[in-house]
Amino acid sequence: MPTAAELEQAMKPTWCPGCGNFGMYRALKEAIEELGLPAEELMMVWGIGCHGNGADFYNVQGFHGLHGRALPVATGLALTRPDLKVIVEMGDGDGYGIGGNHFIHSVRRNIDMTAIFHNNQIYGLTTGQASPTSEHFMKTPSTPGGVVEEPVNPVGVSVAQGATFVARAFAGDIPHLKEIYKRAIQHEGFAVVDVYQPCVTWNKINTFSWFRDRVYKIEELPDYDPTDRTKAFDLSMSTFHELTCAPDECKIPIGVFFEEQGSFTYQDGLPQLDRPMWKHAEKPRDISATIAAFGG
Amino acid sequence: MPETPTELRVRIGGEAGFGIKAAGQMLARSFVDAGLETFDLTEYPSLIRGGHNNYLLRVSTEPVYSHVEPVDVLICLNHETLEMHHMELVDGGAVIFDPADFPATEIPSRLRAVPVPLTDMARDAGGKIMRNTVALGALLGIVGFPLTFLGDSLRTQFAKKAPEIAENNVKAAQAGCDAAVAACPDFFVQLAPIEGAPKRILVDGNEALGMGALAAGLGFYAAYPMTPASSILHFMAAHEREYGVVVKHTEDEIAAMNMVVGAAFGGTRAMTASAGGGFALMVEAFGMAGVSETAVVVGVLTRPGPATGLPTWTEQSDLRYVIHASQGEFPRVVLAPGDREDAFELTWKAFNLADQLQTPVIILGDSYLSDNRQSTPAYDLSKVSVDRGKLVAEGSVPAEALSEDGRYLRYKLTDDGISIRALPGVKGANQLGNSYEHDEYGFGSAGEPAPVRISQNEKRMRKLDLARTLVPPPAFFGAPPEEADIGILFFGTTKGPAREAARMLEREGVKAALMQVVTVFPFPAEEVAGFLQTVPNTLLVEGNFTGQLEGLVRQECLLPVQYTLHRYDGRPFTPEQIVARVKEVL
Repeated sequence: MPTAAELEQAMKPTWCPGCGNFGMYRALKEAIEELGLPAEELMMVWGIGCHGNGADFYNVQGFHGLHGRALPVATGLALTRPDLKVIVEMGDGDGYGIGGNHFIHSVRRNIDMTAIFHNNQIYGLTTGQASPTSEHFMKTPSTPGGVVEEPVNPVGVSVAQGATFVARAFAGDIPHLKEIYKRAIQHEGFAVVDVYQPCVTWNKINTFSWFRDRVYKIEELPDYDPTDRTKAFDLSMSTFHELTCAPDECKIPIGVFFEEQGSFTYQDGLPQLDRPMWKHAEKPRDISATIAAFGG
Repeated sequence: MPETPTELRVRIGGEAGFGIKAAGQMLARSFVDAGLETFDLTEYPSLIRGGHNNYLLRVSTEPVYSHVEPVDVLICLNHETLEMHHMELVDGGAVIFDPADFPATEIPSRLRAVPVPLTDMARDAGGKIMRNTVALGALLGIVGFPLTFLGDSLRTQFAKKAPEIAENNVKAAQAGCDAAVAACPDFFVQLAPIEGAPKRILVDGNEALGMGALAAGLGFYAAYPMTPASSILHFMAAHEREYGVVVKHTEDEIAAMNMVVGAAFGGTRAMTASAGGGFALMVEAFGMAGVSETAVVVGVLTRPGPATGLPTWTEQSDLRYVIHASQGEFPRVVLAPGDREDAFELTWKAFNLADQLQTPVIILGDSYLSDNRQSTPAYDLSKVSVDRGKLVAEGSVPAEALSEDGRYLRYKLTDDGISIRALPGVKGANQLGNSYEHDEYGFGSAGEPAPVRISQNEKRMRKLDLARTLVPPPAFFGAPPEEADIGILFFGTTKGPAREAARMLEREGVKAALMQVVTVFPFPAEEVAGFLQTVPNTLLVEGNFTGQLEGLVRQECLLPVQYTLHRYDGRPFTPEQIVARVKEVL
């Protein structure tokens, strides 16, 4: 069972100094150590973006896929390797933009795996264009007149689409993030963790201090019930606000919005998934019954 | 001279939704059960109800490789069928029709009118829905074939329904038979069961491909429906519990291909299939399988394009596309089955090649293969083998795969280009499968220096040399090339019509040598060049406009091809068309 230090490659992260990815990196390594996951059971998958450069920094069994397509690669693994714990890392453009279709369908499938979204509300690796979560009217090189679209609401979409675990976290609060990671990884079903992860180079609006002034913890809300899907959806809508809003006008909840325990996972619907599926190809399969059904 | 085989060609036509294909396949099943050989061709528009559907069945006492143009019996389930197809009938050919649909006077006098009150008889037997069965009985009646085999097929077909349904159908068939015999007691084709004939299965190309994949130990199949590949998804889904396969109908083809890469990275034999349009969406992940050295199998069952094209028709115009698909360069293998024997064999072999080479393998077929059933020698499972190449699925990473400091090198440089592939779960198998260029460990950022890029690129491309020693060679049919009057070169499903054409030419004293390019990539340049230099003339036959195989021959062999024959109207070649072209050029 690797320690946080053993989960690091010799290569040091190349993210910009101060990048929110550092906090996520540390929190995830610590969460894995504290959960005591054996190296042979841990499988990580990345999409493409600044988050994906992290593929080189973790000492794990990993696959660094295409832009937007980490979820289906991870799904292929999760649906054939019941012995693996699959953790997927994606960006906001990667996971909610180009990979948006996979996001919606992965949520509704309730595949037992953990999906972490590095949400910096900007395209970092391609130099600062608007992302699907960039705020309304934000000006970027691809939207000099300001973003016209409403931002994607990842928490609201997940809750509406039947997700069984939906959380949001902030990379500037590592202990809180780590606890959310641990709950997400332990959750049986598809766990969505949207992490606000400020981009210090390209996003000059949604900075660490901007978030620190606005975030509050859901668990501190009196009487909040994370098993109430409707309330979770209502709370997800409270995140959205005017670009120039004052800190006290736009509070951002972080924590577990929704959790349903004991749900029916996609894997529960696959009784044939009783062992790693490569075991079916140790020798030719006897399909004589099928050949006979065609007259043979 | 061999005795001319007894043959029957029958076309059944009617409106979509009439169950014409199901009826036709039941008829084919009856003949195959009785020891005869069959080949069928279904033509249908891209809709569920209405429009003209038709089903062509060729029955013979000898193996048949394709459909042919003439028809002996036309079964008209509506008026339109007569108008559209009467000219295909040979003189004296029979038209089975319902006089309630149109009068016998509309049938040209060179033909034999066989009126059978299909609707009335079906209703008397228990329901109008059995019209097709009455017509099948009528057909069997005029060719003197016992109804017992059809009865057995009907009982199998309706085994899960109330017993009277099968029996009512048998009654309907008998009524049709009696009426037709009375109207036409002396038809010129008479068929009888063959005792002790070798065991045949009746399968279409997709079923053959599906069985090949299952026999190979398939563990994961992901796909999005697209004609003509959809029935592979149905086939797999129907067998997933029985054989322990995970089958996923995905949100799109992009997901299907990426899931297959994920499953294959985990060591599972994994496959997807689509038509050319669906494959277009898969292409980026297909390339990822190449650079990440992941063993995947992809079926590309083509139809006329571009874009939506002609969804339910056939064409061979995606050859260049599948050979070149993806940005960048990496080794791949493309296998082109010509019939339902090839489809089974090449599919299980594709999985071995993918594992041995750790690279994607394509099965290139088309609608003509996918949709149509052919009587085929029952598959011999004892010939199927599983070779997973340099795979370590359990235990620890072997020493030869480790670096000097003891780390597993997934992409270790080797002479043959193949590195030891230790699956996630194996002790010490921390690794990074990567869509980026990468170093021996798999690090993307370490893949950028020029020497690393060059060494990894060359390592992958070396696998093509190994591939050349492993892939199925070209297949030869007909006359020996040294004795031939003409050589005919083709790939894929043109095999059937070409083999039939060679038989027809032989009867006329023309010797045709046939070469099927089975592995279209890597291209068997030496063998093709040898063939071209041996035969006195070459005719290249391919179902596309631009001459894609011809271009490959010129590029790879630096040799011209004298004559070509193209077809791009959505229909498969007929043997007669190839024969006519041979006569024109000789």
